[in-house]
Amino acid sequence: MKSDILNQLQKTSMFMNLSEEALADLAVKASTRTLEKDEVLMRKGERGDSLFLIHDGWVKIVTEDSKGDELIINKCGPGETIGEMSLLDGSPRSATVIALTASEVFELKQDVFEEILDQRTDVSLAIIRSYSERLRFATTYIEKAIDWSQKTAEGDYSFVEQTQPLMNDSASNDDKAAQLLSTFFTMVRRVKEREDGLKQQLEKLTIEIDQARRKQEFEEITGTEFYANLKEQAKTLRQKRAQG
Amino acid sequence: MNKGKIVSIHSFRGGTGKSNTTANLAAQVALAGKRVGVVDTDIQSPGIHVLFGLDENKMGKTMNDFLHGKATIREIGFSVGENAVGGEGRAKLAGQNLWLFPSSIRGREISQILKEGIDFNLLNEGLQKTITEFDLDYLFIDTHPGLNEETLLSIATSDILIIILRPDNQDLQGTSVTVDIARSLDVPNLLLMVNKALPKYDFVELKKEIEDKFNAPVTGVLPLSFDLADNASNDLFSLRYPDHEWSKALRGVADAVLATG
Repeated sequence: MKSDILNQLQKTSMFMNLSEEALADLAVKASTRTLEKDEVLMRKGERGDSLFLIHDGWVKIVTEDSKGDELIINKCGPGETIGEMSLLDGSPRSATVIALTASEVFELKQDVFEEILDQRTDVSLAIIRSYSERLRFATTYIEKAIDWSQKTAEGDYSFVEQTQPLMNDSASNDDKAAQLLSTFFTMVRRVKEREDGLKQQLEKLTIEIDQARRKQEFEEITGTEFYANLKEQAKTLRQKRAQG
Repeated sequence: MNKGKIVSIHSFRGGTGKSNTTANLAAQVALAGKRVGVVDTDIQSPGIHVLFGLDENKMGKTMNDFLHGKATIREIGFSVGENAVGGEGRAKLAGQNLWLFPSSIRGREISQILKEGIDFNLLNEGLQKTITEFDLDYLFIDTHPGLNEETLLSIATSDILIIILRPDNQDLQGTSVTVDIARSLDVPNLLLMVNKALPKYDFVELKKEIEDKFNAPVTGVLPLSFDLADNASNDLFSLRYPDHEWSKALRGVADAVLATG
């Protein structure tokens, strides 16, 4: 069982930089919790003082919409982490988590975690490093989002073609900054598609020329003596010009 | 001897932006290094001189005096290149070979011309003399709307006729008659230009439709522009705002003029 915890901790971005030995130390301190279907794991607004790793089963992360109805933000399954930040800042839970199926989760409490941080400088440093790394990534993504916003505002969608592969590589599930960028990207693509669609809906001018009226007006102008003279003079002139 | 081309700009109805287009076209062709003259025969509503920054009060003898033998063409020509002031766009014409030959703006003279009419040979000799005296490559004539005798004279003497129209059925109907007249008078180059096109239209489609209808090239579809309206008749828009869509399309028309054989 402890090796399961160890495996999952290794995959959590926050602990990525930790040595196996340090992870083992953390795994020992974690406890197992089983949840019945529909059991509430945490409630929005409660003090967040632990991290959960889902080992088995599925949970839903819900909040309320403006009418008070349940709104599912996300569903999480085996290998996914909930409340990672709570270990460090202890801030209130931002959403309610309810088991969708009978589930088993590992829990790492804030006080236990802090104890380890206190005893082991290497763990503290590894955590700080992983956070600074994430911050750096987030900043890069924000810069990208600003750049893309400006381009979109100017109607320049060239980046849509150029950057798609990058998105597919880097948008991992627990990286919100990458998710933002991915969502932003999808938004721009849809906006572009709608804009292209609108361009195709441009109106066509229906040209209607009254041919009888055209003929009549032409004859009125050309039927005069003035015009007959002019036509003759113009003809002579053009012949003269053609001869140079 | 006869190297300069006469380019008449015409539209069936008023309000097509004809004077503005003529002034900008002439300016673009001059910027391309050509020697250009502009005759304003739109004597019923003179206005092109304002775009070239010619003060009405300083206007001396006019085209009318020249045509009636009361002045030499040298006395009439106003050098825009030497007076390129009072506008950011106009300033770009400094040193270019561009002359304006204004028509009379005085009501009495206008009515006199209208009453007496102008003889074809007299007009033609006058224009040829203008081309020779100033060694012009192109002489633009800003005609007045409709198809009265003066306009027919201009069309008859033209090497190139540019018809400006708005994309609406009234203009298209009128243009159809002008196209027939131009062909009847053997004008060698007939070019169409669509101005004030609403953005709701597909410009590519519009160009194709009109070309099919008249069997004549549409050299440009220029958008309806509030920026252009704002600029009023104060400056040469395509020189002041070269990156504007209207200016880009106008340069396409200028290129078509330069490309005529």
